[in-house]
Amino acid sequence: MADEPVKVPIEVPAATPAPSAPRSEGPSGGGTHRSEGHSGGGGQRREGYSGGGGGGQRREGGGPGGPGGGGPGGPRRGGKRQYFRKKKVCRFCVERVDFIDYKKVEMLQPFVQERGKILPRRMTGTCSRHQRWLGEAIKRARNIALLPFATEL
Amino acid sequence: MEERLYDLIFICRPATPEEEISKIVTTLEHSAVEHGGKVEKTEKWGTRRLAYRVSKHREGFFVYMVLRSAQSDIIKELERRLKVSDAVIKYQTVRLDEDLKRQQKLVKHRERRAGRRPRKAAGAPTPAQQVPPTAEQTAAS
Repeated sequence: MADEPVKVPIEVPAATPAPSAPRSEGPSGGGTHRSEGHSGGGGQRREGYSGGGGGGQRREGGGPGGPGGGGPGGPRRGGKRQYFRKKKVCRFCVERVDFIDYKKVEMLQPFVQERGKILPRRMTGTCSRHQRWLGEAIKRARNIALLPFATEL
Repeated sequence: MEERLYDLIFICRPATPEEEISKIVTTLEHSAVEHGGKVEKTEKWGTRRLAYRVSKHREGFFVYMVLRSAQSDIIKELERRLKVSDAVIKYQTVRLDEDLKRQQKLVKHRERRAGRRPRKAAGAPTPAQQVPPTAEQTAAS
């Protein structure tokens, strides 16, 4: 019953959409015009300030990045939207699990990181009720040395 | 008082001879019976790797027991015994009857819902009902 689910939808990386979001917003709002204006007059003045200089450079970098990244930015932005992402389903709900046994380590393992961390719901798609039971089961398994609290090196 | 169900797992040192482990198990069973409990199951899982070091051991001999008792004193007594014995490096008792009760309730609730649903929509719920038994059958076979 529990042996089948080995694959976990961990592949959905939470980190990838995050950096693309500000980048795509910046150049889309006419970023090229702004960067030209600052580089002409304000760029030299702001070199005195370390923060301002950094900001100017960043904008200049963003200017050419905007049109260049406009092509790949479109599909990337589409990928970020939830319509295109595969919908995550609670695996325990699909299998109609009413009780998560803390003794079945191979069942709990997919929901634990290699270092022993419990994977968040947003990664695995587990529903809140089952995540609660799962957390309890993992903690019980940890107590009796079936699962690690944190892997020691 | 109603009866309670407990899971008891203890870990022995990997170097402990088999007879000594059996001796510990029999003494535990005896004292459980003395205190008005019942040992439903005893399983020796054998030597397993521990997920972390326990008193300088990386491996341990796991023994798993299921107890049923109306008194909580039995747990106190068994844990005292486990604490005293040198071969045992770790033990854990978990009360399970409340979880199981919850499980039964959910199953009952689902059955009732499954029985009610066909009146409204006959097609949709039937495949969903058929899925869990087949999964169990494949696992059992």
